[in-house]
Amino acid sequence: MKPAPFEYRAPASVEEALALLGPERTVLAGGQSLVPLLNLRLARPEVVVDLGGIAQLDYIRADAGPLRIGAMTRQAVLERSELVRRRWPLLRKAVRFVGHFQIRSRGTVGGSVAHADPAAELPVALTALGARFHLRSSAGVRVLGASEFFIGPLQTAREPDELLAEIEVPEQPEGAGSGFAEHAHTHGDFATAGAAAVVAPGRDAGIALLGAGPVPERAAAAERALAGGAEPREVAALAARDLEDEHRRALCAELARRAIEEALA
Amino acid sequence: MGTEARLTAGRYVGRPVRRREDERILRGATRYLDDIDPPDAVHVAFARSPFAHARIGGVVVPDGLEGVVAALSAADLEGRPRDLPVQGFEGGRVATEGHPVLARNEVRYAGQPVAAVLAESRALAEDAAELIEVDYEPLDPVLDAHSSDVTMTHWHRVSGDVDGVFASAAHVVRATHTLPRVAPVPMEPRGAIASYEETDDLLTVWVSAQDSHRQLAGLAAALDRPEEKIRVIVPDVGGAFGSKGPPAPETVLVAASAMATGRTVKWAEDREENMVASYQGRGMEADVELALDEDATILAVRARIRADLGGYLMPTTAIPTHTTAMLMCGVYDVQAADVEVVGRRTNKVPTGPYRGAGRPEAAYFVECTVDVAARELGMDPLELRRRNLIRHHPYRTALGWTYDSGDYARCLELAEELVQPEHHSDAERVVGTGFGMYVERAGGLFETAEAELLTGGRLLVRSGSSPHGQGHDTTFAQLAAERLGVGIEDVELRFGDSDEVPRGVGTFASRSLAMGGSAVVQAVDALKQKCEAVAGGRDMSLHEIAGAEPGLRASARFESDLVFSSGAYGAVVEIERATGRLRVLRVAAVDDAGTIVNPLLAEGQVIGGTAQGLGQCLIEQAVYDEEGNPTFASFAGYSLLTAAEMPPVTTAFVQSPSPLNPLGAKGIGEGGAIGAPGAVANAVADALGGVRVDPPFTEEKLWWALREAGS
Amino acid sequence: MRITVEINGRAYDGDVEPRTLLSDFIRHGAGLTGTKVGCEQGVCGACTVQLDGEPVRSCLTLAVQANGRALRTVEGLADGSLHPLQRAFHEAHALQCGFCTPGFLVSMDAFLREHPEAGEGELREALAGNLCRCTGYLGIVEAVEKAAREMREGR
Repeated sequence: MKPAPFEYRAPASVEEALALLGPERTVLAGGQSLVPLLNLRLARPEVVVDLGGIAQLDYIRADAGPLRIGAMTRQAVLERSELVRRRWPLLRKAVRFVGHFQIRSRGTVGGSVAHADPAAELPVALTALGARFHLRSSAGVRVLGASEFFIGPLQTAREPDELLAEIEVPEQPEGAGSGFAEHAHTHGDFATAGAAAVVAPGRDAGIALLGAGPVPERAAAAERALAGGAEPREVAALAARDLEDEHRRALCAELARRAIEEALA
Repeated sequence: MGTEARLTAGRYVGRPVRRREDERILRGATRYLDDIDPPDAVHVAFARSPFAHARIGGVVVPDGLEGVVAALSAADLEGRPRDLPVQGFEGGRVATEGHPVLARNEVRYAGQPVAAVLAESRALAEDAAELIEVDYEPLDPVLDAHSSDVTMTHWHRVSGDVDGVFASAAHVVRATHTLPRVAPVPMEPRGAIASYEETDDLLTVWVSAQDSHRQLAGLAAALDRPEEKIRVIVPDVGGAFGSKGPPAPETVLVAASAMATGRTVKWAEDREENMVASYQGRGMEADVELALDEDATILAVRARIRADLGGYLMPTTAIPTHTTAMLMCGVYDVQAADVEVVGRRTNKVPTGPYRGAGRPEAAYFVECTVDVAARELGMDPLELRRRNLIRHHPYRTALGWTYDSGDYARCLELAEELVQPEHHSDAERVVGTGFGMYVERAGGLFETAEAELLTGGRLLVRSGSSPHGQGHDTTFAQLAAERLGVGIEDVELRFGDSDEVPRGVGTFASRSLAMGGSAVVQAVDALKQKCEAVAGGRDMSLHEIAGAEPGLRASARFESDLVFSSGAYGAVVEIERATGRLRVLRVAAVDDAGTIVNPLLAEGQVIGGTAQGLGQCLIEQAVYDEEGNPTFASFAGYSLLTAAEMPPVTTAFVQSPSPLNPLGAKGIGEGGAIGAPGAVANAVADALGGVRVDPPFTEEKLWWALREAGS
Repeated sequence: MRITVEINGRAYDGDVEPRTLLSDFIRHGAGLTGTKVGCEQGVCGACTVQLDGEPVRSCLTLAVQANGRALRTVEGLADGSLHPLQRAFHEAHALQCGFCTPGFLVSMDAFLREHPEAGEGELREALAGNLCRCTGYLGIVEAVEKAAREMREGR
């Protein structure tokens, strides 16, 4: 399948990129989600704006406390980052489930987040971590939390004239544990269900389910129960309770239980 | 019954010779269809029906489309080429209406080709194909065999007083089983290139195919053209599994348009086309009944089989239904049988032969029912089998076929030993063990070979068989080298070019070694006799004989009845209670394919086939939605097993030589796909305490089944 | 658009459209057909090449994105004599029709260079990025384990 024709722009800076955005214009980050859609002709932009040349969007730093990930950071780079492994291990656990290693060479953190597939690992892990998403336009920057950013399956609050520039993840307390679990038909396939959990020593928790709804959401009732001393099994059942389908509820609860137990270990 | 082979193991035969084919593959020096880039070629893309069922009012091609050389609908073809022919089977009824090359006034499945665009590039052809306006009047689709009132195939055989036996039997066991449709998914999609030379009136077609013969015959028939005026060349082929046998309608279109335009025309199918338009496998369900007496002897089998054949009979669509029916006595000594199979039209892509081509269905239906019987009678499923196995060969079945040789009891014994049965149940998981046996038809018809002594004493063999991964270049060289007494490096094989190889039958139905290999051996034997005649008793090397009489050659045409491979598979599976997730812990694959010429390659066939059988059990299913749209147009909607899911597979070969060919060989290419599903299904049922579920055994199904089993 | 891509140490120029996929440029522009195309969706892995040393799906990369960069394809794996993976695949009968083989070789060369100590579980997960319909994978797992040992021992 060959894409429908389009024009191509490769801006060298964020400012240049912003000037190119608009309707009928699609942003190309890693291409691992977009190019399949182009090849199937399910996406037919007039112009593709390739962010691959914008070095200023490719970084991982934590100089002043929170983790700051430039949107064009490749998933493989996140996976290899010693900083992330030590201090935000949930991200490393989650990213290892993203497709296959060849996909992660090109796929980006920002691209996965902006694509907002309900079965995607990074959005749910970032949601559990309380991440914030920096959207830049020529008018300035606005910063949204996960619940404001993810608004539907494959839908985010990003306007067509905005770029997701950075993902900011709060500092994690010393001794916090994390866990990630998912099920897929085969290894590397799209997840059918999953869970991300991060638990601080005082049992403050961030728990989010993957594939349980149109957007990744914090399981607030479950988090409160965990903080209140409930057992992982009970917490997990709470996290999954809104799922109507009995099997899905059981599946999500089981995966949540595993993620929570891993975080507590 | 004895394991001596008529062809005794020697320098090469019976040895795990590594493949000569490998180096050029490993270096990336292969030439599959799309690697062939004729500089002046035009590229084809098809406009395909978006509807499962619709009338076509008209097809309009806009003018002035960029890069377009021609755009064709059925109206432009004016009745030529003809619809694809339909192959029937003996003793039953098969409708004669075939698949049109391009749809005329009706489409019967989503993805059916309606118009073709020839353009300077594939991308431009796809651009233009999107702009073709087709006036569709959608009709309600029929999406399962039950709801269909159009019968396209029918076969029914009754042997013995089946009704009487059932009426008086001590036990009657009934079960219904379904094997849903799966897609063949060779890693290389289909494709063809055609070039017409007007001065010689010669049409040359390169095609990714299982052999040149059926493509040649099919093109000659569809184009109404003498076979001598068509040359078919099969390049390297990236798998087929039954899906690249006779010519596809697209291939015929490519050939016809090359003749019409005078351009070289290339069609390289993409994955989306391959998923929706390549014929599918399985898609059968059966009501099976067994009549047993007091001591668990199976007295009779009755089966009503329904096949979901899709919108048209493609050339070989009817064949698997007949194959399933003929094998419904399985490996058991059953005196009476009543088997009927009906193939119905539905608004889906047609079905056709896919690895096993009717044998997996028969093995599945029989073996699952035998396990149901064992449970109902309160017997060990292995014991029930042992009481009923055929133990003397040749054996003529109640349905009329003769199994040439076999040692079914030994296969079963080995499978039990190798799989290490396990049964376990705790709060987290259940573990079950199951077995599935099979007998399958292989070989048959005829095959050809020519052997030629080249200058220097090297041997050139031209074979009617055609490899697409099986390693014929190595196995046939092993046979020829051994037979003539030369080094394997002194043997060259030719396959796949209709100008270069003798006319034969082709590669399908696990026939290449039994038929193609036997033809090679006979041709080499005949050549050897000629060499000996030239030497006239003198001690001459082949080099010298070739010098004395250049161009020595001999040919052979080997003909044989069907041979019957068999086997027993065992599987141990684990189901996780909390989620319903199935893991196959291990598989034992015991196959009897007669003489094994290359055990390394034979094992490769078994493991590859087993992976496909496991795929059918675990995750593969070609699902159409309520409107008849395929949900499997991409890998997002159809999954294949990866290396991460493959369990350990222990293989063993029982070698009951066939008396029907000089090698004593049968067929090993399809055993894995035939034997594995029944074993896994029976293992799952064992884990579920007897609850039976149809494949694919998804988490959801098994989770609910565990609840049912618990209640 | 005019692009120049270095493939296996040699420069290839070509005219491409923005929509031209890198897989098509490699195969039909540069004429290096060892890299195969199986799905154009990034799932089957047959099109995997190394882009500046990183294993990527050439079917999900636009040709223009490779302008000025260096690729390695299956044709560049052997330096005269076969790469340990190539030898091991041959020994272990890890290929049948061969269509998926270049993708496996290029992928696992990259993976093993980065993870020389990977155990069987990690290897199998890495192998999940390439589909094979012929072999059933067990020969491939054996081949990769063998090649990994050899590569650890320094070829």
